[in-house]
This record gives sequence, structure tokens and C-alpha cells, in this order.
Amino acid sequence: MATSTTSQRGGLNSTALALIPIAIAINVVLGQLVQNVLKLPIYLDSIGTVLVGILLGPLAGAITGLIANVIWGFTLAPSALPFAAVAAVIGVIAGYAGQYGAPHRWWLMALFGILTGIVAAAISAPIAAYVFGGVTGAGTDVLVATFQNLGASVLGASFAQGAVSDPLDKTITYLIVWAIVIALPRRLIARFGNLRQQ
Amino acid sequence: MQRTGLFLERVGFLQRLNPLTKLTGALLLIGAAFLLPTPLAGAALLVLALMPLAVASAVLRSFVDVLLKTLLPVILSLLLVQGLFFPGADPATIMLGPFAFRRAGLEFALTTASRLLIVAGAPLLIFQTTHPIILVQALTERGMPRSIGYILLVALQLIPAMSERAAGVAEAQRARGLETEGGLLQRARGVLPLVSPLIVGALVDAEERAMAIESRAFTAPGRKTWLHDVPDPPVERSARLVMWLALGALIVWRAAVAVV
Repeated sequence: MATSTTSQRGGLNSTALALIPIAIAINVVLGQLVQNVLKLPIYLDSIGTVLVGILLGPLAGAITGLIANVIWGFTLAPSALPFAAVAAVIGVIAGYAGQYGAPHRWWLMALFGILTGIVAAAISAPIAAYVFGGVTGAGTDVLVATFQNLGASVLGASFAQGAVSDPLDKTITYLIVWAIVIALPRRLIARFGNLRQQ
Repeated sequence: MQRTGLFLERVGFLQRLNPLTKLTGALLLIGAAFLLPTPLAGAALLVLALMPLAVASAVLRSFVDVLLKTLLPVILSLLLVQGLFFPGADPATIMLGPFAFRRAGLEFALTTASRLLIVAGAPLLIFQTTHPIILVQALTERGMPRSIGYILLVALQLIPAMSERAAGVAEAQRARGLETEGGLLQRARGVLPLVSPLIVGALVDAEERAMAIESRAFTAPGRKTWLHDVPDPPVERSARLVMWLALGALIVWRAAVAVV
């Protein structure tokens, strides 16, 4: 405590404190926009998490994902709470993607998107299978039914469903974040600090 | 306009409790729903515990309403997917019209659905009876970093404002000829024009907000005082202790049964 300064305490400085709530709102609002206005069969509800991870690092990314899911629980659907751990891991991976300098190459971003999708599918499968019995009430339930009909267990089918939907969703998320980050003024990127300069 | 949260301005039993007591109770109920060996333990707990609490807190109607809206699609899907396609050797089936439902699958679906009632219902009841500010304050007094509480409360306030801005962006881009209807590819092309103005604008906002935080010395060290007072009477502290002991006993008992 004695060594703390005004701008940096507990790992979160004022820039992080300002950006993270905005990113959480972006997650929620864009998730709704994509589903209600554009009616696309993907979620795109982690753009804010990935953006914060890349700009501010793994810790800030994890906090963004975690609190975003708690907020989903607060405002719309308490059933989003069990998946908070998955959202946190997505933020951590994005933090490392930023440190690695992934946003300088679009294909690196796509690669990180696929990787994130597979990891997310692996972590959410046990939660989906054990807490929700494999279904979420969304269109992706058809996939779970198909995989179980092909002989998969509930856990296996949940993972297979995630492995089909999540990499696509996360790759698109990463590519959108890529398009945004390369358009940002350098001054702003320098202020955020996590992203490795080219 | 969408509302900022599930909280309802009512006077009742749960509204008077310390948020920590409510959280401990929710944890105990969720633990019981998973650990009690009785089939449909969750459904029983909903009727015997959550619904009487909702009545005592004057939120029963909206509690049941939100719970149904959230869970009905999940439960229906659960019954269909697991009832028809449950993996397993049990050949027993129940015919409903032209569909052969598997008995083991229906049992699995009902057990899961009954647990879900508690997993979603217990937090829902807390959110409906606890103002976010009080919840955050109670957790912060117990050692949660202040920054986490700040992020939570600001995000809750920002969502409606951001929602409005998103609607504005969507309208502006439509006025310039952006297609938000039509084929899948056409709609997918709409993602970037909708998303990027929203985010770039938000990043600029973040910079201004950071300066505001600095100028109000939010990150300065030292003791802070609270505007509200969250009471924590000894009765509630004892109640929490009892609930923790009950949860521990439940876990030990289940583990012992599993070993024997």
C-alpha cells in the first residue's frame, strides 16, 4: 500500500477504470444489436472484452469478461452467471494476443480468434452439460441434438456444438477488433499501453 | 427504453436483509439443489423457499414472470433435445403422439430443469430485492476492491445510454443506404458500419472519463466514507454462520455417502 501511486493501484489505473465499464456496455449492447437488428446467427457479445484485453492486458480483459457476465445476470438473464469464468478466460487470451502484437497482422488475429473459440468451447462444455443439460434455448440447440443423435454424450455434444459455433464467432470478433485497433490514433494506443508496438 | 436492472422498488423481508446474508442463502440453496439426492429437489426448493421469500418481499409476480421468460425456452429445448436424443443404453420409451421419448432422457431433463430453477431463481431474487449500490457497498466493505464496484455500477448506468447511441448509429447508417434486412451476407455486411462508430466514439469517451476519475482522486489511497449505511445485525451474522455450517454438512454428508 505504501508504494502505491495515484495513477496505479491494484493493477487498474484510471484509464482502465474508464474503459472497462464502456467495454462491458459495448458487449451487452452489440450482443443485442447483432441479434435484434441484424439477426445474425452469431453472438458477438465479447467484442468489448477482446478490445480491453488487447489494449490493457490479461487482467483487465479478465475483469471485463467476468463483470460483463455478472451484469448480464443483473439485467437480463440470471442464467448467464455460470458462464462468467469462460468470459474471463476470453479476456486473458486477448491480453496475451495484444502483448504478442497480433493486431499488426490480420491473420494472426484470425488465428487467435480460432484458438479462443476452441478454448471457450472446452471450458463452457462442462458448464453447459452439467448446469444446463447441454441446451441454452437458442438455435444452436439443434446442433446438440444432431451430435447426440450421432452417438455423442451430453458433454461431448456440448463441446462439439461449441467447437462448431465458437471459433467462427470469436474469429469474427477478433477481425472486427482488428479493424478498429488499426484505425485508432497512435496517441490513444500508446495511452492504453498493453499492445506491443510494431 | 430498457430498464437499468432487475431491481424493483418494494418494501419487504428480503429488502431489509444485508446483501451478504442473501448471497449466503443463495449459495446454500444452489448447493442443496445439486447435492440433495431427492429427484426434483430444485423444484421443491423453489416452491418451499424461493416463492415464499418472493411473497414476503412483495415481488412474487415479477419473480415468476422473469423466471419463466428466462427459463421456459431452455426447459422446452431441454425436454425435446434430451427427451428425444438422450445418449444411453436405457431402451425404455414413452410414446407421445408420433414421438418416442426416452425415459432416461426425460428424467435427466427434469432433474436439470429443476436445478436450473434454483441456479437462475436464487440470483434473480437477490437482484430483484437488492439495489445495486447497496450490493456493491456490502461487498466492498468485505474487501472487494473499490475499482470492481465502480466498474459494476458505471457499466449498469452506461448500458441504456449506449443502447440509445447504438440505435442512433443504426438509423444514421440506414439513412445512408445501409441494408439491415435481406440475405445473410447482406446483413453481415452491416456489422462493421454499425460497430465501429460506436466503439471509436466510446474510446474517445473513455479518455475524458479517465481524466474525470483522476481529477476526483478516485485512485488516491486512504480511507473513504460511505453515503449509505448497510446494517448487519448480529442475528444475520449468526444466520450466515448457520447457513455455512449447513452447506458444509451437506457436502460432507454427500461425500461420505459416495465413499460408502
